[in-house]
Amino acid sequence: MNNRKYVLSKVIIYSFVISILLPLAIVALWSFVGRWSWPHLLPETISLRGMEELFGGYSSALKTLGSSVLLSITVAVFAVIIGTMTARALVFYDFPGKSIIQFGTILPIIIPSIVFAMGTHVLFIKMGLADSVPGVIIVHLICALPYSIKIMTDITAAFGQRLEEQAAVLGAAPSQIMTAVTLPALTPGLVSSACMAYIISYSQYFLTLLIGGGNVKTFSLIMVPYLQNGDRTIASAYSMIYVISTLLVFVIFELAVKRFSNDESGYFFA
Amino acid sequence: MIKKPFLLLLPVIVLSLLFVIGILNGLIQSFGIMPSLGLTVPTLKYYSEIFSRPDLLSAIGMSLYITLLSSIGAVVLGVFICALLVMSGKAKGRTLQLIKIPIAIPHTVVALFVILIFAQSGLLARVFYHLDIIASQDAFPALLYARNGLGIILAYIWKEVPFVVFFVVSIMANINTSLGEAAQNLGASRWRTFIDITLPLCMPSIKNAFLIIFAFSLGAYELPFLLGSTVPRALPVQAYIEYTHPDLLHRPYAMALNGILFIISFIIAFLYYRLLQHNVVKVNKS
Repeated sequence: MNNRKYVLSKVIIYSFVISILLPLAIVALWSFVGRWSWPHLLPETISLRGMEELFGGYSSALKTLGSSVLLSITVAVFAVIIGTMTARALVFYDFPGKSIIQFGTILPIIIPSIVFAMGTHVLFIKMGLADSVPGVIIVHLICALPYSIKIMTDITAAFGQRLEEQAAVLGAAPSQIMTAVTLPALTPGLVSSACMAYIISYSQYFLTLLIGGGNVKTFSLIMVPYLQNGDRTIASAYSMIYVISTLLVFVIFELAVKRFSNDESGYFFA
Repeated sequence: MIKKPFLLLLPVIVLSLLFVIGILNGLIQSFGIMPSLGLTVPTLKYYSEIFSRPDLLSAIGMSLYITLLSSIGAVVLGVFICALLVMSGKAKGRTLQLIKIPIAIPHTVVALFVILIFAQSGLLARVFYHLDIIASQDAFPALLYARNGLGIILAYIWKEVPFVVFFVVSIMANINTSLGEAAQNLGASRWRTFIDITLPLCMPSIKNAFLIIFAFSLGAYELPFLLGSTVPRALPVQAYIEYTHPDLLHRPYAMALNGILFIISFIIAFLYYRLLQHNVVKVNKS
């Protein structure tokens, strides 16, 4: 193999990686900008205005951050539980209507959320779920579930049922089988599907706006006005916290899981 | 033992029902049935009016244009990056972790990236100015809030290339090491092997990725709302405007626009389903 080809493909791959990281760096820089007018290539003045807006106390940014993270974690937990249950039904049992249910579980990926959101909104108004946190959790869950089900189905099929049966034969109680056999084996899938569901819920803007009706404030909802008003410093500060908080939650997910299983490998998006 | 699977499926069935009822609710209103407003006779009026109103028709065109261009761009670039990763043995590890970052970045933040970099006062325009390529801010082409929709397309490509890579790379790596290396042993060159053997065998997962990102960007609201022009608007943005119109009689228009979105995405869902079955048949035969 000649080396020049390798060098070229490395250059392309690394420039691609740079094009992914560069915008993040630019946002980090912009969140500390005081003045940066055209056509300067570097900021003219540095300011902590963006940070004051976030941490200063006159905005409710941190409070919203907290409740937003909590809401998305709730969605992630539900998605993982329901995803695992669905996967077990689909992998271990044969029943009438199985293929319809299988097809139904992937539909929310393909049918745009706006199509079901407006009809659901009308329904939720009648049911008293509109403008409420449970209503928002339910619609986020509908969008996040297909991914959790897909991931859990793959890992459940790969793991199979033999070890559980063996434990049962040896006299383990159902609860013991679950904590000692099933959960540790499914851990990688549980973490990836939790992460995926978390991302989908946390970055949801439109569904939260429509179903939450402005009553349910999430982080992605409160930063959009700054984007529209063209306040680049504050929009950047919000974006930076947004991205950092996502990564932080993933790290915590992973650490929590590592405490329960002895597996050393990282699962981030595994 | 028919009970147990249904017990396990209960929550997903309830949520799916909600999803389906939501869609049906919208479709019913799109045929002009809103008893609370005294509309009870089904009609195709709203659909036919959409096709006779240039502003609504151009919303459909705008959405298809943005979606098609960005999805094709993302798939071509994504598959190309996959090929480079596989052939230089980087299909696993740190580089891949970095490439996956955009999957976790929300669309609203991606919109900010595009504004900071590609606006007429953005970084790229400043760099061009200092390189004497352009003489003023206005000489930089308008990519945002413009009819060409280039800002939105760039944002989607940034967000979706990693998704394509995520979807395709491990399958491609497997095929390349098993069948690809066999072909190389028989004397085929690397690229020849890739184009004749590996790529065709990856096609199902590439099509899969294409259908998903196509359906997603067709129905997504955030980016066209934040970066798009006011004329023509993208379909979801137009639908939301009609939905939130103070005159409730506008609501059937919103639902009919959604109905059109639904028809397009249902065709995609059908293709996706066929693709899945096709794969199953293939696997069973081999």
